[in-house]
Order: sequence, then structure tokens, then C-alpha cells
Amino acid sequence: MSLTLDAVLALAPDASSAKAAQGLLSPSGWPQLGASAAAVWGACQGSGSKPYQTQVDLGGPAFRCTCPSRKFPCKHGLALLMLRVQNAALFKDEAEPGWVSEWLATRGEKAQKKEERQAAAADKPVAQADPEAAAAREAQRWQRIEAAAGELQRWLADQIGRGLGALNAELLQTWATMAARLVDAQAPGLAQRVRDAADSALARDTERTLHHLGLLQLACEALQRRTTLGPALQAELRTVAGWPHDRAEVLAAATPVTERWTVLGMATELRDAKLTERRVWLQGEASGRRAWLLDHAFAGRGFEQAWLAGSSVVATLAPFPGTAGLRMLCAGAGAGAEPTLGPPLWPATTLAAEWQQVGERCAASPWVTLHPLVLPAAVVVQVGGQTRAVCAGRALRLLLGEADTWALLAATGGLPVALMGEWDGVALRPLTAWTPGQAAPLWLRSSE
Amino acid sequence: MSAWAPLLPAAVVGSERHAAPLAAWPGDVGQAIAAATAGAEPAAAVLRAAAVLAACGAAGAQGARFDDALPAAAPANSQEALTDPAQLGPIGWALREGAPRLQLAVPLALARAGRRFPPALLPTVLELGRRSLALRAAFAATLGERGRWLAQQREDWRYAAGAGAQADAQTQWQDGSFEQRRALLQSERASDPAAARERLQAALPELPAKERAELVAVLAQRLGPDDEALLDSLRADRGREVRQAALALLLRLPQAAHPQRAAARLAALVTSSRGLLGRRWEIDAPSAAADDWKADQIEATRPTHERLGERAWWLYQLVRQVPLSWWTTHTGLDAAELLKWAAKTDWAAALQRGWRDVLVAAPDITWCEAVLDAGPAGWADHHTELLALLPPARRERHWQRQLGDGSVPLDRLLPQILAACPAGETLSAPLSRALVQPLLARDAAGALANDYGLRATLPELAAALHLDALAPLATLQRHPDHTPSWADTLHALAQTLATRRALNTLAPETLTP
Repeated sequence: MSLTLDAVLALAPDASSAKAAQGLLSPSGWPQLGASAAAVWGACQGSGSKPYQTQVDLGGPAFRCTCPSRKFPCKHGLALLMLRVQNAALFKDEAEPGWVSEWLATRGEKAQKKEERQAAAADKPVAQADPEAAAAREAQRWQRIEAAAGELQRWLADQIGRGLGALNAELLQTWATMAARLVDAQAPGLAQRVRDAADSALARDTERTLHHLGLLQLACEALQRRTTLGPALQAELRTVAGWPHDRAEVLAAATPVTERWTVLGMATELRDAKLTERRVWLQGEASGRRAWLLDHAFAGRGFEQAWLAGSSVVATLAPFPGTAGLRMLCAGAGAGAEPTLGPPLWPATTLAAEWQQVGERCAASPWVTLHPLVLPAAVVVQVGGQTRAVCAGRALRLLLGEADTWALLAATGGLPVALMGEWDGVALRPLTAWTPGQAAPLWLRSSE
Repeated sequence: MSAWAPLLPAAVVGSERHAAPLAAWPGDVGQAIAAATAGAEPAAAVLRAAAVLAACGAAGAQGARFDDALPAAAPANSQEALTDPAQLGPIGWALREGAPRLQLAVPLALARAGRRFPPALLPTVLELGRRSLALRAAFAATLGERGRWLAQQREDWRYAAGAGAQADAQTQWQDGSFEQRRALLQSERASDPAAARERLQAALPELPAKERAELVAVLAQRLGPDDEALLDSLRADRGREVRQAALALLLRLPQAAHPQRAAARLAALVTSSRGLLGRRWEIDAPSAAADDWKADQIEATRPTHERLGERAWWLYQLVRQVPLSWWTTHTGLDAAELLKWAAKTDWAAALQRGWRDVLVAAPDITWCEAVLDAGPAGWADHHTELLALLPPARRERHWQRQLGDGSVPLDRLLPQILAACPAGETLSAPLSRALVQPLLARDAAGALANDYGLRATLPELAAALHLDALAPLATLQRHPDHTPSWADTLHALAQTLATRRALNTLAPETLTP
């Protein structure tokens, strides 16, 4: 298992949990520590009279603890896994005690039941309580979105007719109003794009503003003639409008594929103070397919399924409907009986192949906002106070915080490394760096 | 030119006022734009052209051209980095949150083991060194090539960039950081005192006063009569710190001309007469300033806020230029007798202050112990300073005595001991045990958790205690009803212990029994 402390810390639901976990690393606080091939467990002396029973299923990894914390994973689980990484010798190799084996068994059963349910659901057509009523609701929502798109198109023409040069913060208030109207019309995706355009306009970046407005125009016109388009493009437009597909719809539309995936990188960001967004980027080890998992959780609660950047895991994924072909849904990880966490198989790629993939994805859906990009031999440099990745005579601006910039420079030392990040069309947000041929990542972006 | 430029006039001014037809773009993109905008309203044409440009621009992205030469990469490291996670965990904690003494112990142990910090810790280390000069020197040997490379990349870390470890002595001396140059001078002084002196002498005119003073102090090592000429010339240096450093070193050369002149001045003032009970010593202060004082750094004008009177001020200055050995030879009295005698004279304050200055500049064990044993008034506040001049074993005798007779409460004695124990050194096992035992007794009585003064010094103490005496401190157990701040202290204590153990595995401490 190629776990690093950084990778474990990246699982923490927030910074205070990470700090608290680091505070629990003295072995004296753990009167009992044990490990088997499938799990690690320990008893941690907490503030209660009885020690907490903490366990980690290495297959996921998945956490469980008897402490009353609402955070997930809790500091005890994180600390247990960090202790395992720091000092495996502290753990006694032994048979799982009852409280561990029972939990592992129920996890296995749950996964199996879930699979059976999914199989049953896939066999039967989606059972709707009232198919007609559902179809009517769907038609009504499309109608609203299309009407909103028509209004948006007129509004766009008005803005261009008057010119972007006269825009100021006050006039941009009307853009916020337009965004709010789109939210009311159940098209929050379009609303977000109007807000992005307003941000570019406020920053006096006319080219970027036109980029956003142009893509909005394209979406509006496509929505106007939606029914003449194929089902995949219609699904893509639905996503662009911000009407998400729910789990059942995704599973009904495509057959999930079970494969070993390398976790290329992970980004966690706090949205609106209360919501944490997590983006996980995977690459299928056999198929070479890139996949994007997008999850949200209330801040501090963490995510049910943990992913370790720089590891590989067997998981069953189903692609979301649409033409971009990037976002997937995780129908289950670690489905097998054996521990599934393993070393990563870093992708062997060339810069030309990477840009080719970006180009093809843009051709399939020009609205994709984040592309996974792997620079095979990038040198991280500082030029005029800006951090850039230079690869084959081309430079990409890097989006990095102060601490991450110096950690990345220290890790790379001006030498070429493989760098994976999120490309937004203008700059790269690096998430992971590694040396080809070495399993352990050189650097991981810290969670924000 | 940006592909967007032809679109900007209409988009910025507004298609209503910008009547000109849309520009033509070359190539496939141009054809796509032409097809998309044919027959459209002016505003829609601008938006459709933008749509084509946005989609094609995103699909054809390749980054910006970069034709500049890449900056030099870090050279390969010759030292092995620290990689064991069991050691890195506590060491990382120590650097981030440990007591300063523990932070210093980390690079010292790494240097003993010939290891360097791993890249992940380098930003923390360079930032710590930026804020602490004491740590900076110790870090220098443990940065490795990667650390020096990283230091070059940032203005406020450049202090550590220095010259590579492999660079020859001359390059290190010319281009190295101050710490590197001082280390070089120290090692050369140990092997070839004359060469080191000449190297320093040649560099002096170009150095700032602070560096001059610190490098001159290096001459204390293997000081000899050959150094007198240089030191004598430095008495007239522009920098006050340099003059003081030179005078302090001259005190250690009693045969040199300057201390001889100073002794002659004093000999005229310290006189004896034979009485019934043997010889009686008298001291008088100068009654007027002499013309030759200025050349020997004796100031005739008393500073405005000087507490001594004018004649006492003169006497004090004469006393502080004379080695202590002169007093015992001249009077035949030993240190303890001289101290007793001085206290009874009219010039006690001037004598004591002068002696203290000399003692600090040129430490003398007999005098230190005499002062500590006698403890005359006026010296007591300098207790710690004087203790620090003694070799550790001699110091501990005094602490053991104070612990034994309870003359100083533990919460006052501990900070004194810590202040006097130089960073990077540890206390002896017997003293460490003698300190741990009352702490455990207080904890057993439940009094330690509420003794705020004492418990605040615990993490720092754990960094200074002998390794063998540390284990019992680990028995301070946490309880649910502890306050969070006491739990924090216990945690810091546990982490300090873990760090000490990790460092000891890395490079066993050279233990005093």
C-alpha cells in the first residue's frame, strides 16, 4: 500500500480535523493497535471513560469509530491511518476481533445487496409511479428552461448591442438580476455562466467575457432546437442548464463498468461557507479512460466514500448521460472480497495526446469547464512572481496558494516531473505531481 | 495578435453603434464563423462569432510559448534525506509547534547523522530560519542542495542560499552565507590559527560592523600572542561592538601591551599598608582623567544616565580592562577574599561591575564559583548569566544544592536552569531525575495541572532533560476531566518525548552520565 501522510490528511473533512488528528499520533494514546490484510483497528483513549473503538477498512478506505463526533471521517480514524503509515510496527498482526470482522462483514453484505438492487433495477425498466405524470413534469421543466433560454438570448443581444465597454459595477447588477431569473426558471447552470461572465467583465477581461457570452449563445440556440438533437446532446444540454441527473437515471442509462482506477488527483473546495465540493479525477488502468467524480457534502461532515490521491482502487463507475463523457457516478468501490487499495498506475502519456483529448472533448461538448490534464515532463518555475509549468516549450500559468507553491517547488527542485491538474482553458490548477516510475506521489495539493 | 481582436471593436462599442460589417477570419475557423454569422442580426453575429472562437479556442489550447532558458535545476543531493515516516512525523511536529530548544535539537541531530531535511519540510525550515538567527546556523548543514536551491527562489530565504557544500574554501568564503563563512573560519582557526587570522584580517575592511564583531570573536579559539597586533588595531575600529570584542579578547592576553598599561594604572590606585593584623589593602579612584586614556578607550566624560559618580565611573573603566589574574597576583588574596574586601571599600559598586564585565568577557571558573558561593549584593541578578559561564557539571552542583535546600521554589528554579543550559545541550541524568521527581510528586497530588507557571515550562524542560530521565514524564496520563489547555500541555509533552526518541534513534545524543 503506497499511502502517504499527505494523502491521509487530504481525507480530513476540514482543517481542524486534520490538526486534531495530528494531535492523536502519540502511541501512548492507543492502548490497542491491530492490523490484518483487510483492516486496521485500535482503541483510542478519548475524553470518555471507555476508549473509542476505531477501525479502517483498507479496501475503501472506509472509516468507523464509536466516538460521538459528527465529522466523517473523525479525527480518530484519520489518526489511526496516519499511525499505520508512520509506524506500521506499532500494529500487531492478528486476526480481526469480533467488532472489526462483524463490521467488515456487514460492509460486504451491504455492497452485495446494493449490487443486487442495482442489477434488479437495471433489468427492469425504471419503475415509475405514474409514467405519464412524470413525463408531463419533465416536459414542463424543459418548457421553462427553453423559455428562459429565449429570454437569455434576447438579453445577450441587448448587451452586445449596447457594447461591453460601458459596463461598470452598477450596470453589472443587472447581470446578477438576469442570473437570478435563470435560477427561478430552474436553469441554475446558465445562471452560473452569466455570473462567470460578469466576473470577467468586472475584471475588464473582454476576451474572456466574450468567451462566456459566446458559449451561452451557443447553449441558447441549441436549447431552442433541442428536440431536433440526439439524446446524448440533449442530456448534455440538460447538464449545461443545471438540471442534474439523479442516481437512478444515470444507472438506468448506462451499464456500470468495474475496473481498477488510479486516483490521479483530488480537489476539495469550500463553497458558500457551508458546502464542500470534492472533485476526484480517475484514470481506468485497463481502459485508459479519464473519469470525474463530483460530490458535495455539508462542511465538516466529510464524504461517505474516501479516495486517496496516488493510490489505485477497484470501483464500479457509470458515466453520466451527455456528450462530454467525463463525469461518472460511483456505484460502489472495493466491491471484491480482497483488499482493493493498491499502488497507482500513473498514465503514460504525451503532451500532444493530452491536448488532443482536450480538443476532442471540446468538440463533443464546448461547455466543459474543467479538463483533467497530465503534463508528462513539466518544470515548475517562477517567472516574475507567477508560477508556471513549462513543458515542451509551452508554459501554463498555475493556480496555487502560497504554501502549495513553495511545497511544489521544494518537491520538484526545478527538475521535470509529471504534473496532473485541472485545466480551465486559461490556467492549470495542479493537484498531484509524481516522478515517472515511482509509485508514491512527490506532491499533493493541500485541501483548501 | 489574439484571434479575438477583430471582434472587440463591435463588442466594446456596441453593435448598434458600430455599423461596420464583421471582420473575416482566416482558415477553417474563418469559414465556420462566416457560415454561422451569415444573415444574422448584428448582435447575434457578434455572439455567434464569439461562440465559434470560444469553442475553437478551447479545443486548440496549447499554453503560451516559452522561449526563455529554464532556470538551473537543483543539483543532485550528496546527503541522504530523512525518509522514515516514524521519524518525520514527530520531527515535523517539533518544527511546527515544538519549543525553540527542541526545534534546534532537530537540525543538530540531523547534522550528527549526516542527513538532510526532505523537500516537504524545507519551506517550514527556511521560514523558521528566516525568523530565528539561532536556528539559521544549525539549519545550514541540513538543507542539502535542494534546500539551498529553494532558498535562491525567494527573496527572504536567500540568506540560506549560500555556496554549495562541495564548493572549495575560497568560494565559500567569498560567496557563502554569513553562517557558512563563520563555520569555515572556525574550522580553519582550529587547524591553522595564523591562516584564519590572516583570512579574517584581509576581509575586515569590506565587512559590516556586526559581522566584523562576530567573526573577530572566532579568534577566541586558540588565542595567542600573535593575535595581539590585530586585536590592538581593532581597539580603534569604527564599530563599538568590534572594539568591545577586541578588548574582551585582549583581557585573555595578560602579557599584551594594552592590559599591561591598564594594570599599571590600577597598580597606582590599589595600595597596601602593614597593620597589626597583617597587610591591609586600600583602593582609591582616579582623581583626574589622564591624557593617555582616550587612546586606550577610557572615556573621561561620564554618560548622562550613568549611575556611578564621576570618579567611580573612571575606576570602573580601569577595572574592566585588567585581567582578574592581576588582582590575585598583585594582592596575594584569592577570589573569595577579594570579593569580601571589595564589598567593604568605598568603591564596591565600581569594582563589582568592572569585575563582572571582565568575568563575562574572559570567564574564570574560580571567580565564578566564588561569586556564586558568596552571593554579595549587586551580583544576585546576574546569577544566571554567571552560571552560564561555568561548565555544565559545575553549574549543576549549584542547582542540586538549591533543589536540596528548597531555597528557590521549583517554578523559579526551572526557568533559571533552562536559561543557563545552552540550547543543544542536555542536563545530566542525576539532575534530570532530581527535577522530574518533584514534578511527578506534584502531579500525584493533583497540583501540577493547576500550577500555570510550572506547567508552561514543561515542554521546554522535556527538551532539555537527559533522555534517560524522560520516561517517567510519559506517565502523566490524560483524564477526561482535564482542562483543554492542560491536555494541550500533555500532548506537547508527549510529542516532545516522541521527537527526542526519534532524534536519538537517528543520531544518539552524546550523553553526559
